[in-house]
Amino acid sequence: MRILFKTLVSVYCACLFFVSSSMAQEIPFFEGLVKDGKLPPMQERLPENPLQLNFEKTNKTIGKYGGDLRLIMGKAKDLGQITVYTYARLVGYAEDFTIQPDIAEAYHVAEGRDFTFKLRQGHRWSDGHPVTSEDFRYFWEDMVKNEKLGKKGVPAQLLVDGEEPTFTVVDELTFRYTWEKPNPSFLPALAAPSPLYIYRPAHYMKQFHEKYADKDELANKVADNDARDWGALHTRKQRQRRPENPELPTLQAWRNTTPPPSTRFIFERNPYFHRVDPEGRQLPYIDRLVMSVVSKDVVAAKAGTGEADLQARYLQFSDVPYLKRGEKRNNFTTRLWSLGRGSQVALFPNLNANDEVWRTVLQDVRFRRALSLGINRKEINEVIYFGLAYPSANTVMPQSKLYKAEYSQMWAEYDRDKANALLDEIGLDKRDADGTRLLPDGRRAEITIETAGESSEETDVLELITDHYREIGLKIFIRSSQRDIFRRRAAAGETLISVFSGLNNAVATETMNPEELAPTDEAQLQWPKWGQYASTNTKAGEPIDLDGPMLQLQLFNKWMLANTNEERMEIWHEMLSGYTNQVFSIGTVNNSRQPVVVSNDLRNVPQEGIYAWEPTSYFGIYKPDTFWYDR
Amino acid sequence: MSDSHYVNDKPFDPKSIEVLTPEQEAIFLAPQRQLMWWKFKRHKLAVVSGIFLALMYLMTIFAEFLAPYSIESRNSEYTLAPPHNINFFHKGEFIGPFVYGYDKELDLEKMQRIYTPNEDKVIKLNFFCSGDPYQFWGMFSADNHLMCADIEEPVYLLGSDTLGRDMLSRIIYGARISLTIGLIGIAISFSLGILIGGLAGYYGGWVDTIAQRLIEVVQSLPTLPLWLTLVAIMPSNWSQVAVYFAITIILGLIDWTGLARAVRSKLLSLREEDYVLAARLMGASPKRIIGLHLIPGFMSHLIASATITIPTMILGETALSFLGLGLRAPTVSWGILLNDAQNIGVVALTPWLIYPVIPVILIILAFNFFGDGLRDAADPYA
Repeated sequence: MRILFKTLVSVYCACLFFVSSSMAQEIPFFEGLVKDGKLPPMQERLPENPLQLNFEKTNKTIGKYGGDLRLIMGKAKDLGQITVYTYARLVGYAEDFTIQPDIAEAYHVAEGRDFTFKLRQGHRWSDGHPVTSEDFRYFWEDMVKNEKLGKKGVPAQLLVDGEEPTFTVVDELTFRYTWEKPNPSFLPALAAPSPLYIYRPAHYMKQFHEKYADKDELANKVADNDARDWGALHTRKQRQRRPENPELPTLQAWRNTTPPPSTRFIFERNPYFHRVDPEGRQLPYIDRLVMSVVSKDVVAAKAGTGEADLQARYLQFSDVPYLKRGEKRNNFTTRLWSLGRGSQVALFPNLNANDEVWRTVLQDVRFRRALSLGINRKEINEVIYFGLAYPSANTVMPQSKLYKAEYSQMWAEYDRDKANALLDEIGLDKRDADGTRLLPDGRRAEITIETAGESSEETDVLELITDHYREIGLKIFIRSSQRDIFRRRAAAGETLISVFSGLNNAVATETMNPEELAPTDEAQLQWPKWGQYASTNTKAGEPIDLDGPMLQLQLFNKWMLANTNEERMEIWHEMLSGYTNQVFSIGTVNNSRQPVVVSNDLRNVPQEGIYAWEPTSYFGIYKPDTFWYDR
Repeated sequence: MSDSHYVNDKPFDPKSIEVLTPEQEAIFLAPQRQLMWWKFKRHKLAVVSGIFLALMYLMTIFAEFLAPYSIESRNSEYTLAPPHNINFFHKGEFIGPFVYGYDKELDLEKMQRIYTPNEDKVIKLNFFCSGDPYQFWGMFSADNHLMCADIEEPVYLLGSDTLGRDMLSRIIYGARISLTIGLIGIAISFSLGILIGGLAGYYGGWVDTIAQRLIEVVQSLPTLPLWLTLVAIMPSNWSQVAVYFAITIILGLIDWTGLARAVRSKLLSLREEDYVLAARLMGASPKRIIGLHLIPGFMSHLIASATITIPTMILGETALSFLGLGLRAPTVSWGILLNDAQNIGVVALTPWLIYPVIPVILIILAFNFFGDGLRDAADPYA
């Protein structure tokens, strides 16, 4: 009896506690709205099975609600960075770079070619409408397969050898994509920083779709918005990557409330966000993101005076002394994260250069090896990176599970004699009066290295390289332009050597796409025409006529069809080894430091992280929705 | 009473009233050139500026000798070192000019290299000594420098840049480009301005109309975008000398319009003067009339606008290079040096990278004062 009583009391207490705690749990930001009945209470807003984050594994602490996260961006287009930072994806990378369900509750892959996703019961868009298979069907049937909206064709990541998937709705929350052959790039594409969005808020978009909307109403909307036709209006209203339309329901942690053009964008928390902390409280902790747009030249100045709570974009290593000086006065700390690029500054010899003589020379692996051997990486590291970076070829970093020391050291030591010998060997042995080598046709070996002119770091490294190359008889000119012109010139073959940052994904795992190591895209500066040939399905560009890149492409195609992770791993290693041995791009140093300005009140931002576009989505995999203010 | 008003019928000799002393005679009968010089000398600021400018141009001629280091010289051990102070007394004893060498350490907390002068490391400064070898005017090999350190330690009187190059040497070499670009540009804009303005003013009529419209078109072009376009079409494999000339020509081609207008309006008024009519009646050619009779009439104006235009040209080059559009590294000009100083950290942490601003300001001021003096002097009767 006594025991029973005790149990009753404790159950009663537990109930009381539960009730009171669930009352107290309401997010202060929404308290008013909930009280007025305009918004359901938190428990009803969350999906039945929300994504509960594991804080122990990532050393995070339970936080408090509230606060504005101030970010500085250099152009209005950077609005798209917010979707990179917030990183809510159908499936996404965890901190160990494995793919985990996020918006999807679960996914199942059969034979690498049959993908079934299950959504969360009760998950809602930021306007409260349920997320269902309909949203995915809408994208596939009413957008991709629509004559007007699908003009560009099926997104490349949804094609395997030109074959489309079969899309099936299983039930209200389950749907399936099936191909005949495996599609290993499908999940990485969904988890990418700029992902493949295979869904749209159907209930919202239908008002702009010819098939669903009332004809006259749609005509009025088209006229009101100065759009060319309903297709243009639909395209403008549905943008996922750049949240320009404040009315568009979203699944990200914060939704934009400011229509462009503006220099200050305010993002408010999404009341229906699907992630919760270990105590079951809805994320994000921070109420609002405030993104101000300024000239990119003053970002460092502003960050140094404490005008940002979390800032890494547009900050360079050379800004660190300045940032450190402002730390105490302005209550922030400059953390130094590792930059997750294959090489901080890399040279890309253009194997598709128009100039025939130069093309022959650049296609000769001995020339590229000589270029690599001629760089004094130690000096670059000492002078520009305070010796904190690692001299390395353009390859994966030690943090990657695919790393092997031989890759980073391949043709990466400083050996002037060997470089000179290699250059003599390929017939560049005649020299002009000032020691500059002569090309086979008698011209001086003068190389114009082109840069997008975006960082002074690049120019400093190039000036050192200019000096290094003078020692091996090559004269370097530096030409800087704007990024668009720079890319266009390289793609057209007008550039001999371009300089840019190295591999985007230097912490790759075998399940990630090795496309950067093979000619697959025209944006690749070392083989733009071959890349275009592959990406346009032989419609444009030129076929590969060199063994090395051909082998890379064959390996890539093999990876696409691989069934097991062991196979993929093996192919990755072959590709990495081929890429560094053939020196398709010339690395300098990697693992250099990225200053990350973090307010001293901000919690849960890792002390050390990898700052990279892929696979970390900059701050994305560190989950900014778990950041909170301790004030 | 008819002779009550006496008129002397002898010729009047002014010397009978006032006898000029030899000194006065020298003044009144002095030639034009002499008068101009006297007038100019009275403008003290202009004289000082003139001397300063002369020295600066001399410096561009002897840059290799005056600069402590050669243009390629780089010491990556000492990047962003602050300027050395020149001392004369070491431990109370006079030992001539010297500097204290730096102890350097890497502060990984602040991410800065910290340089502290070491009182035991005395680096004496020698004069007329051997240093980095160079090709004087690209012709003679030499290694003489005005000043060098007596041991293998770098001396940076104006600090060093991000790659460990001496700022003083770079400023001296930079003057070569920055100062001469103005002269060449001005030569082009002057020839164009005087030619087109002169023709328009002298002939008037349809020649004038065409010239005026041309001027209006050129003036209506927004300069910055125009520079951008012209610079963008310059091939990147052009040598720096070619780019340099192209930029001066661009600057000159845009700048002549103001001068042409001024020449035209002056000519319009001067050509109505009697002495021009006389010359024309005597059969003088338009070339002779413009060149001999009209232009000297507004020489002072020309000089004034020339001296004001040269600084504009210098600033134009500096601005273009600062924006990364004009000359490019490894060429050294003041604009390029300032381009390196764009970073906010520079102002706070390494202010010596902004020092090239000082010669730019001084040169501009000097040209303006000098021009002021010249203009007054060119019109000595005013």
